[in-house]
Amino acid sequence: MLTCDQYHMPTSLADALVLWQDAPEGTQLVAGATDILPWAREGRAGDVHLPAMIDLSRVPELDGYTLDDGRIRLGANVVYQQFLTDEKLRALLPCMPYCSVWFADDQIREQATLAGNIVNASPAADGTPPMLALNGELEIARLENDDIARRNIAIDDFIKGPGTTDLKPGEIVTAVICDTLEGYGGSFQKVGQRRSLVISSVCAVACIKLDEATGKVADIRLALGGISPVPLRLTKTEQLLTGKRLTREMIVEAARQPADLVASRTRREYRRVVVRGFVEAAIEDALADCGAAVPDAETRETADV
Amino acid sequence: MSEQTPTDLQLEFQINGRNMKRRAQPHQRLLDFIRDDLALTGAKEGCGAGECGTCSVFVDGKLVKSCLMPVAKANGTKIETIEGLAGWGGDLTPVQKAFHKTGASQCGYCIPGMVMAATSALRENPKADIEEIKERLGGNICRCTGYTKIFEAVEMARDVLSGEANAAVLEADGAGKSYIGNNVRRLDAPSKVAGRLRYAGDMVMPGMLHMQVLRSPHAHALIKSIDTSEAENLPGVACVITADDVPGEDGFGVFVHDQPIMARGRVRYVGEAIAAVTADDMLTAVRAASLIKVEYEPIAAVFDSEEAMQNGAPVVHDYAPDNIVKHIPIRKGDVEQGFADADLVVEQSYDTQAVEHAYLEPEAGIAYVDHDDVVTVVSPSQNITHHRHMLAKIIDRPINKVRFIMSPVGGGFGGKEDMIYQGMLALSAMKTGAPVRLVYTREESIISTAKRHPARITYKMGLKQDGRITAVSFRMISDGGAYGLSTEGVMRKAAILACGPYNIPNVQIDTYGVYTNNTPSGAFRTFGAMQSQFATESHMDICAEKLGLDPFEFRRINMMQNGAVTHTQQQLGSVSIGRVLEAAEKASRWETGPVSMRGQERADLGGDDTRPPCTLGARFRKPGDDDRQEVA
Ligand SMILES: Cc1cc2nc3c(=O)[nH]c(=O)nc-3n(C[C@H](O)[C@H](O)[C@H](O)COP(=O)(O)OP(=O)(O)OC[C@H]3O[C@@H](n4cnc5c(N)ncnc54)[C@H](O)[C@@H]3O)c2cc1C
Ligand code: FES
Ligand code: FES
Repeated sequence: MLTCDQYHMPTSLADALVLWQDAPEGTQLVAGATDILPWAREGRAGDVHLPAMIDLSRVPELDGYTLDDGRIRLGANVVYQQFLTDEKLRALLPCMPYCSVWFADDQIREQATLAGNIVNASPAADGTPPMLALNGELEIARLENDDIARRNIAIDDFIKGPGTTDLKPGEIVTAVICDTLEGYGGSFQKVGQRRSLVISSVCAVACIKLDEATGKVADIRLALGGISPVPLRLTKTEQLLTGKRLTREMIVEAARQPADLVASRTRREYRRVVVRGFVEAAIEDALADCGAAVPDAETRETADV
Repeated sequence: MSEQTPTDLQLEFQINGRNMKRRAQPHQRLLDFIRDDLALTGAKEGCGAGECGTCSVFVDGKLVKSCLMPVAKANGTKIETIEGLAGWGGDLTPVQKAFHKTGASQCGYCIPGMVMAATSALRENPKADIEEIKERLGGNICRCTGYTKIFEAVEMARDVLSGEANAAVLEADGAGKSYIGNNVRRLDAPSKVAGRLRYAGDMVMPGMLHMQVLRSPHAHALIKSIDTSEAENLPGVACVITADDVPGEDGFGVFVHDQPIMARGRVRYVGEAIAAVTADDMLTAVRAASLIKVEYEPIAAVFDSEEAMQNGAPVVHDYAPDNIVKHIPIRKGDVEQGFADADLVVEQSYDTQAVEHAYLEPEAGIAYVDHDDVVTVVSPSQNITHHRHMLAKIIDRPINKVRFIMSPVGGGFGGKEDMIYQGMLALSAMKTGAPVRLVYTREESIISTAKRHPARITYKMGLKQDGRITAVSFRMISDGGAYGLSTEGVMRKAAILACGPYNIPNVQIDTYGVYTNNTPSGAFRTFGAMQSQFATESHMDICAEKLGLDPFEFRRINMMQNGAVTHTQQQLGSVSIGRVLEAAEKASRWETGPVSMRGQERADLGGDDTRPPCTLGARFRKPGDDDRQEVA
């Protein structure tokens, strides 16, 4: 059970930062609470008592999103369901609706934030691989002599390992900033035994843009989660495919590479096999999503895996 | 724990159309607040971790899981619970009526959440098709109704709401001359679809106290001492009980009464109850339990049932030095001769695992001593009469001073046959004179209650080339865990059903239930038959393949006929296996012939009646997409 002495709901970023800076040792920030509440249960952290909790969901500066020169600034209060229901976001971030629909369920997605997912830094977090693929960074605020100071940090540098990040005392993540990929095809793959409420053991994301005139790959983004302590961007594979007209063989070949990156200590062989199938599927589904023909997609199951 | 006093929250909100102003504790979840403070118990706590959906409520029009929402987040919002859909005594909504009509409520524990999720799905998209409905209900689990009737209900409600179907479809069908062959609505469904039915954990009584159980972290240990003084001195604590407080003959179980209501001098599995605190509120009980000091001396434990049968293995119960709870031997004919007569002998072993029942209602109960000194326990017990007799002995009261009341069972599947917690409740009620309630968490339910017996079965079958079975030897070693519970009965049933519906002249069956330091095993749907049938039918397939026979044909050669006598000497008037095989063969589009003759391509897969794997994407379909393309 999670208990606390104080539950704060600041209504401005400045108030939140002051509370956070002055908070007694052990205080925690709360966004959707979908990680924090289940964490304080038997078998995990058990009964936890916190001196205070600072809930950020009523801080207006963290709401909504803004666009700036090919990048989008997603306020820290943006929840997963928005990636599925907001038409504009769906167009700007074509892989995110797929990521969202596999994420928990409709009800949890109304609460769970992308920022909380990234800060929680679970190796199974579904939001991190897409954000790597979209060159994501975090905007972080803190108080400096009573003024709000900010810094930005690439998500890659922010996540140090399972559950550990570069967040410093007194800091609050205010936004996630990433590329917008309008006109790309997007996809997201996740291992799951049922369709809702599955935590990924492996997940893969792809975004592809084809050159309209030549049909060749103009840009491709690929990332994998769950195969190593932190998610990976597949830059080598991206380079291999950029500028090419995709054939079946090429996709199979591209999917072979990342299997060697599997560094997880558990179920390694399984993950290697899954990764191959996943990268293939991610590329093919992203192609289908941008309306392109998929080379021999129906042979995927029997081809190689 | 901090010494600071918590600062209460001041909340203003609207709930089911009514404006309210209330104080709440800072740590409360919305679920605690609506259930405990507002007495709206239609939302349930099936898991407390966001996994099951029994707690779904609307907050500002969005459906959320109230077990994952700190109550402060609900300040200033509009909340709608299942009680607000129809209103007390009011007419049920079309969604609720449809659940009633299609029979979408068995135990009913998941149903308020399901009705909320269905309502949300149709509010979000009144035209949602079946795939989208399935997707939107994905966060809600049902363990007994099964999803078919639930989805049927949502589609029916959708059609009525959109005017596509006449509201009359929601009403009862005429029963005609006979109820047989006609759909009859359940009498108890309205209370379930409206969230009005109170399960044990929903019940409150004036002056009610709350119980928290301290459990063993060790699988096998001697208890050197239990110091409850600090817990007892905590303000708000009414009593702490241990095995020392049991006035009568301590011991319960479905067959052998080997389990004390709390560990007595020795713990035998992780999660066994050691002591129970009763306090004014749950938080105090939890804090007090953490103040109990137990000194353990861990001793050698055994976790494998075959190892437990070896000489020199750690002994779990002194009365059973061989660790055998029950051995059921059955002999018929002469198996050695049967194997000698066989053209082929096939031997194989089969393993099954422990399984948790996962009923959506975690164990709960309330006990009190009434005005006539009758010790009364209200709980979803699947075996109240037996519990009553056992409890009378344990608390040393005449049987007419002990009463068990069965509360609605939110799913049992055999898992609520054991008197795991009712004894502690009764003792605490006797000690405090107040009503005492205990509600398990999901974790507690999983760690401390019975599982399906894991079994290791060694199968040996003698066969003639023409497919006749000449002999079977069947040896099953089952992990009974730390206490006997239903093990004896499960071993009996497994032995009785060991050879399936087949005529076998020579049979040797041995089933063993064995004590280990694992979580106790107990009753679970099929009561031992699942394990033996899994082995038997798998073995039949393997033998058919070795003989080059069609597996249906092989079964027909050996199946019992009307009038057959089983290996336990029961004569069967009518035997239906022939018809069962026929139906299964037809429904599975079986291609006749031994399995080894089949080519790579199978025509029997993927027909209209098979379910494709789960995919998501009902909300991504573009106009013109094939309707079934991305769907499950
Ligand atoms: C049933 C269930 C299913 C789930 N399914 C999935 C799934 O499919 N995929 C997946 O990836 N995850 C899943 N999760 C985990 C969880 O929902 C996500 O990680 C979610 O995105 C966390 O966000 P939140 O807003 O709820 O975070 P919270 O629980 O509120 O916070 C998480 C952590 O981040 C910190 N934090 C939050 N916001 C900030 C901020 N602005 N600045 C600094 N620190 C901050 C908090 O202090 C805390 O340490 C699931 C959880 C449950 C209960
Ligand atoms: S999801 Fe809330 S109790 Fe299970
Ligand atoms: S009716 Fe759904 S869990 Fe029992």
